[in-house]
Amino acid sequence: MNRQTAPTDWKGAVMQKRIAGRYAAERRFRLMGLGAVLLSGAFLAFLLFVMVGNGARGFMYTHVEVPVDFRAMPLTVDKTRLGDADADQVIANAGLADIVAFAADEALGTDGSKLISENAWKEVRSAIKDNPELLNARTVFDLPASSEVDIAAKEGAKGALGAKVDALEKDGKLSTGIHWPFFRNADATDPAVAGIWGALKGSVLTIFIAFLIAFPTGVLAALYLEEYAPKNRWTDLIEVSINNLAAVPSIIFGLLALAVFINWFGLCQASPLVGGLTLALMTMPVIVIASRNAIKSVPPSIRDAALGVGASPVQVVFHHVLPLALPGILTGTIIGMARALGETAPLLLVGMRAFIGDVPGGICSPSTVLPMQIFLWSDEVDRGFVEKTSAAIIVLLVVLLSMNAFAIYLRNKFEKRW
Amino acid sequence: MTFNAAALLLLIAGLALIGWLAGRARSNLLAGRAGEKLHSRPQYHGWYVALWLFAPAALFLAVWSSMSPALITNQVLTSEAAQSLPSFGFERGAILSDARAVAQGRQAAVRLPAAAPLVKPYADASHKYAWIGIAAMLALALAGGLYAFTRIKPDFRARTRVEKIVMLFLLLASLVAILTTFGIVLSLLFESIRFFRLVSPAELLFGTEWAPTSGAPQPDTFGGIPLFWGTILIGAIIAMIVAIPIGMMTAVYLTQYAAPAVRKWVKPILEILAGVPTVVYGYFAALTVAPALREFAVMLGIPNASTESALAAGIVMGVMIIPFVSSMADDSINAVPQAMRDGSLALGATPNETIRQVLIPAALPGVMGGILLAVSRAIGETMIVVMAAGLSANMTANPFASVTTVTAQIVKLLTGDQEFDSAKTLAAFALGLVLFIVTLLLNIVALRIVKKYREAYE
Repeated sequence: MNRQTAPTDWKGAVMQKRIAGRYAAERRFRLMGLGAVLLSGAFLAFLLFVMVGNGARGFMYTHVEVPVDFRAMPLTVDKTRLGDADADQVIANAGLADIVAFAADEALGTDGSKLISENAWKEVRSAIKDNPELLNARTVFDLPASSEVDIAAKEGAKGALGAKVDALEKDGKLSTGIHWPFFRNADATDPAVAGIWGALKGSVLTIFIAFLIAFPTGVLAALYLEEYAPKNRWTDLIEVSINNLAAVPSIIFGLLALAVFINWFGLCQASPLVGGLTLALMTMPVIVIASRNAIKSVPPSIRDAALGVGASPVQVVFHHVLPLALPGILTGTIIGMARALGETAPLLLVGMRAFIGDVPGGICSPSTVLPMQIFLWSDEVDRGFVEKTSAAIIVLLVVLLSMNAFAIYLRNKFEKRW
Repeated sequence: MTFNAAALLLLIAGLALIGWLAGRARSNLLAGRAGEKLHSRPQYHGWYVALWLFAPAALFLAVWSSMSPALITNQVLTSEAAQSLPSFGFERGAILSDARAVAQGRQAAVRLPAAAPLVKPYADASHKYAWIGIAAMLALALAGGLYAFTRIKPDFRARTRVEKIVMLFLLLASLVAILTTFGIVLSLLFESIRFFRLVSPAELLFGTEWAPTSGAPQPDTFGGIPLFWGTILIGAIIAMIVAIPIGMMTAVYLTQYAAPAVRKWVKPILEILAGVPTVVYGYFAALTVAPALREFAVMLGIPNASTESALAAGIVMGVMIIPFVSSMADDSINAVPQAMRDGSLALGATPNETIRQVLIPAALPGVMGGILLAVSRAIGETMIVVMAAGLSANMTANPFASVTTVTAQIVKLLTGDQEFDSAKTLAAFALGLVLFIVTLLLNIVALRIVKKYREAYE
C-alpha cells in the first residue's frame, strides 16, 4: 500500500522552532569551545601572574644603613694579609661579626643587630678586602636587613617589629634595591644571602654534558635509521626501543642512573657529570625522533642528484642531507634540551637534592640545578624563601622561554619547504 | 706526576691532527710524483692516518685509566709500610684513600697519621704506572700512525676504509637506545628480584597496608594498593576529568571554528603550558591551589580536608596535560577525511552536529589512543605529586584528603639516608618496575590503536 506523506512544512512553527533550537545548540557548542580555549589561557595567565607577582619582589631586598666606626672599635688584623687567600678566615677570626653586631645595636637601638641579616658582616668583610683604608674610618654601610625586616618592609607588619620598621623607614634608614647577591651566591640557609648562581652554573654544566653526549649520539642514530638501516629485526628493535624510551617516565631514568652510574660505575654522586649523563639518556630519544623527521623532509631528489654525480653514500649524507636537515635537527635539540633543563625528578634520585653552599667548581663536584633549587627552597620554613622560590622560577621560565623562542626563530628562518 | 686522562686525550687528539696533515700531504706528494690520479681525495688519506693514530691509543687510555688505580694500590700493598695496615674494613680504606689524596696533590697533608708512611710508596707507584701508561699509549699511537702512513699509495682505497669506520660509529650510536632500554629493564629487574626475596610480589601488588617507615616494633609493610589507588585517583581520574573536556573542546574549536590567524597564535601559547617545568606546577599547586581548595572544602564542611590534597595535584596535572590531549585530538580530527565532513554538512547538519555525530566518532580511536598516552604521562609524573599530594598512604575516595602515588614514594624511599641494600631502597626499584611495565603497556596499546585507525583511512 502506498502511503503518501505530506511534504515537510519548513516554514511552519514547529520546524522553525526546531531549527532555532539547533542553531542555539550550535552557538552554545561554539561558546563552549571558545570557553575551553580561554580557560586554558586563563590557567596559563594565572600561573604566570602568581609567579611574577610573588617573584618580582624576590629580586629586591631591603637594606639598612649602619654606620661602623673602626676607629672606636678597631679590627685588629694585619693589613698585609688582606690580599692573601685566607683573608676571609683572618678577618672572621678577628671578630668582625661582633663589631658589626655592636655597631647595629648602637645605631638602631636595642636588638638592632637582630634587624640586620646574620650574614651582613660578610658584606663589610668584602668591602674591607677591596679597600683596607676603611679600617681607619667611620663608614656608613648599606647592610642587608634580616629576612623578617625585609618581609615587614615589603608587606607591612603589625606589632613591635612593624613599629620598628616604620620608624626606620621614617628616618630614611631603609633602602630597597636590586639584590645582587641573589645572582652571585650559591644556596644558603639565610634568605638574605641565598642566591641562584650556584644552581645556575650547575644547570649549565649539566646541560652541557647532556648536550655533548645526546646530540652526536642522537643525530648519528637518526642518520643510521633513516638512511642506511636495513629493514630487519634489529632495526625494528632499535626503533621500538627509541619510541618507548621517549615515553618512559623520567623518574625511571633516575632509577637507572642510580643503579648503573652511581652504584655500579661509582661515578661522583650529585655531580653535573652524573646528572648530565642521566639527562642525556632521557633527551636522546627526543633528538632522534626530531632528527628523523628533519631528515625525512629532505627530498630524495637531492640524494639522487648527489649519487648521480658520483658521491658515495656516506658523502651524500654528510655533504648534502645532514646540512639541509640541520635547522630542523637543531630546533628539536633545543626543545629537548629545554625540557631537560626543567627536569627535576631523575636528578632527585642521583643525589642532587643535597644542600650545596658552594658554586660547583667542575663536572665532578657536588652541585645542584635550578629546578632542584626551586624544589629545595619551596620546602624551606623561612618565609623569606617564598619570594626567592618564585624569583628563581622566573629566572628558569625566562631561560626556557628564550630557548624555545630561539628554536622557533631558527625554524622559521632556516627551514625550507620543499 | 699523575695520570691525567683528559690532558692525554688532548695530546693524542693533537697527534691525530698532525697525522691528518701528514697523511694528506703524503698522498698529494705520492700522486704528484707517480703522475697518477688518487683513488680517494687527499683528506680521506688524512682521516685514515688520524683514525689509526687516535682510536687504538684512546681505547688503551680508557682501559688503562680504569685499571691503573688497582695496579697502583696493589704495588703499594706489597711495600714495607703497608704491612702494618689494619687487615680489612673501613679503616684500611680510609687510610689508603687519605694517602692517595696526598700523593696525587689533591690534599695538602694527611688527615690520618697512619697514612703518612704510605704517601711515598703511593707517589712512587703512581709515578711509575703513569710513565708506563703514557709510554705505552704513545707507542700505540705512533705504531698505528706509522702503519697507516706507510699504506698510503695513489691507488689506496682510503675513502672506503674511512667510510666503513663512519658506518660503524653510526651503528654504535643507534645501539645506545637498545643499551639504555636493556639497562633500564635489567637494573629494575635485578633490584626488584632482590626485593622480592625479602617481600613477596603478591604483598606488593595486593597488600593494602603501606608503611615502610613504621619503625622497629612493627615490621615494614609493603602493600602497594594504596599507592596504586592514589596514582589512579590523581593521574587517571582527576587529571583526566580536567584535561579531556578542556583539551578536546580546545582542539575542536581550534580546528573547526577558529580563524587560521587565531589558530596560528593560540596554539603556541597553549604549548607553553606543556613547556612549563613540572617543579613550577608543583610549587603552584602547593602554594596557591591547595590552600584555596582546602578553604573551599572547609567551607563545604568536608572532613579530612588537607593542604596536601589529591584534588590540587590532580587539577594542576590536568592543566599540564591539556596541550598534550589537545594536540593528539587535533591530529586525529584532522586525519578524518574531508569528504565525511562535507557529506554531513551537505545533508544539512550544523557544524556542531557534524562534529559530535560524525567527526568525533570517526576520530574516536585516535582520541582514545591519545588519552591513554596522556594517562601514561600523568601516572609517571613526579614533581607535582611530591610537592602537592603528600606522602601519607590513604585509601580514600575523598579528593580533598591527602593520598600518595607510586612516583612520590619512589622519591621518598630513595632520598632518605638508609643503606642502599635495605628493603626500602629495593622497594623503590620494585615500584619503578611496576610503573615501567604499566606505562609501557599503556603506550603499546595506545600506539597500536592509533596506528590501526590511521591505516583504516589512508
